[in-house]
Amino acid sequence: MKLWIKLALTTVLVLLAATLSTGAAVIYQALLYNQEKTMESGRQQLSSTAYALARELENGPLKGYSQATKNSYINYTMKKFGVSEYILIEDGKVLCNMTPFELADAGDERWRQEGGYSIIQKRQEQYILIGGQAVPTSDKSSYTLVRVQDISGLYQDMKRQMVFGLWILAGAAGVAMVLIFLLTRRILRPLRELQKAATDISEGDLGRRAHVRTKDEIAVVARAFNRMAERVESQVTELSRVSEQRRQMLGSLTHELKTPMTSIIGYSDTLLHVNVKKEQRERALWHIREECSRLERLSSKLMNLMGLYENDSISMEEISMETLFHRVAQMEKYHLEQMGMTLEVTCSMGKRRVDRDLFESLLVNLIDNGAKASREGDKIFLESEKNRITVRDQGCGIPEEEIGRVTEAFYMVDKARSRKAGGCGLGLALCVMIARLHGARLEIESKVGQGTAVSVIFPD
Amino acid sequence: MKTKILVVEDDSSISELICMNLEAAGYEPLPFTDGLLAERFLKEISLNEPESAGMEAPALALVDVMLPGKDGFELMEDFQRAGIPVIYLTAKDDVLSKVHGLKAGAEDYIVKPFEVLELLVRMEKVLKRTGRSRKIIQIQDVTIDLAQHSVSKNGERVALKPLEYELLVTLAGSRNVAFSREELLNRIWGTDYVGETRTVDVHIGQLRKKLGFHKVIRTISKTGYRLEDLE
Repeated sequence: MKLWIKLALTTVLVLLAATLSTGAAVIYQALLYNQEKTMESGRQQLSSTAYALARELENGPLKGYSQATKNSYINYTMKKFGVSEYILIEDGKVLCNMTPFELADAGDERWRQEGGYSIIQKRQEQYILIGGQAVPTSDKSSYTLVRVQDISGLYQDMKRQMVFGLWILAGAAGVAMVLIFLLTRRILRPLRELQKAATDISEGDLGRRAHVRTKDEIAVVARAFNRMAERVESQVTELSRVSEQRRQMLGSLTHELKTPMTSIIGYSDTLLHVNVKKEQRERALWHIREECSRLERLSSKLMNLMGLYENDSISMEEISMETLFHRVAQMEKYHLEQMGMTLEVTCSMGKRRVDRDLFESLLVNLIDNGAKASREGDKIFLESEKNRITVRDQGCGIPEEEIGRVTEAFYMVDKARSRKAGGCGLGLALCVMIARLHGARLEIESKVGQGTAVSVIFPD
Repeated sequence: MKTKILVVEDDSSISELICMNLEAAGYEPLPFTDGLLAERFLKEISLNEPESAGMEAPALALVDVMLPGKDGFELMEDFQRAGIPVIYLTAKDDVLSKVHGLKAGAEDYIVKPFEVLELLVRMEKVLKRTGRSRKIIQIQDVTIDLAQHSVSKNGERVALKPLEYELLVTLAGSRNVAFSREELLNRIWGTDYVGETRTVDVHIGQLRKKLGFHKVIRTISKTGYRLEDLE
């Protein structure tokens, strides 16, 4: 069931219940009041009749007459009062009964109570009011006057009123229901907009936002919803960017794997099936070895790159940059000397929180890159400023349009050349990852023919 | 004169591999490692009309798609201008690049890694289709005239049965490369030929006897036969 229908229905039901109970209470009260009034007026009439009868009986010429005469006189007097509602009782015996009813017990002492007694009885479809009173004669005779009155009319009136009231109530409830339904629907309209927005988003329209112009709680929810949608959209965009990057990397990876494998398969195939000269056979073996070590390098670099995705393998500690630079210089010394290059280290940086192994491998990677680009006799500089560590070379440089791409995995500016130098196009991608893990970024400046400077820049 | 084959491949190891096999099979490879270098060479030969200068133009080009400078697809126009048929060699094993390559006008498309024999066979097919096959194959003192369908040893005609001739041409066409008996059966007797590999052995025996090729056609254990002729 829809929320607005639920709300409207509950409201209508509560409203109906409230009105019905109020109506019922009011009608019941009215009934009681009317009953009371009828009984009161009955009592008054009864008592005045009783007085009048007493006067009549006292002043009347009854004394000394026989009982039969007395009875006919009383009958006469009663008829004179002209009412057919009275029963006169003397000492438990009915003297005269003008009503169509018979008293069950004429000697009932209730009728002779002080101030009279009255009761309402229901006989079949008839309501009757029975009241009784002692006739106040001065000689304390034991006359009792009982009045029996049909008051069904009163109840019929009440019933009519009730039916009328119910009709009014039904009409009012109908109008109220329609109004409540319309209003609830209107109040909940922003909720429908919210739901539509959510549906649209779930169907892929990530740019969809909920437009709620009210100033109530729904608007608050809508704002929160829009913030959430914003967040989801940016996350999804980021995710698809990352997965696109991964896909490209995987593509490059298969290509990178295929090239050495083509060589290995081709050369071994040649050795197996083709009759080639002895020196060519040796070349083929050499190539197979060379390509295998290329695969080996590729796999260890890849392992590094994969390992960096698991952040828990990183242990950050305060390390003096000077010591770290020194260690890196020691590591690279022999390697560079062999190629006839020198490394110049200047450090003005204090301590920093880094992962020793990763940061060393970052610097070594950058220096190796510099060495690959340099010629014999060139210098490579490892320098530091406030929040920036720079590795600079005087090598061949990177063409401007390629600078943006060199950090992509497997991207090589000069494939043939970097292959010869043992590169596989993962070094800078690895450096970017390591820098990112330290909260730093990589900046590359380069001019063709003049050299390249790669800086690791810390945010502070 | 040997048939010249352009090899445009940036990976030096693969380039050397192809050249090594082409040489062994009796071709003359011309390697290029850069798209721009290849382009310059192609411009030169299309300007100079090498036939008139007494220089034979390359009969075929084996081209890697991903090249530095100018990629294989971009080079297509230059190859067409120079009138050289192209076989692409590439690590890109997706249908789209295959379609792209073939639509651009390539004769064939070979995905790395490939087998040497497959490469040679496909090259031969393209050469035949484009009418650039060798007219004469010379193996030591034996001359095979492909136009005349005749074989002579030291100038004397040797009578060969058609199947023997086909077998000789197949082996000599990819000399120094080993063929398995099944391959030879397939290529010469046809794929629907239901016969034993012994048939091949019998015909090889005949060839050896008729041409004195007892040492030239070698039996390679576990593989098959190879016609060996290294200069």
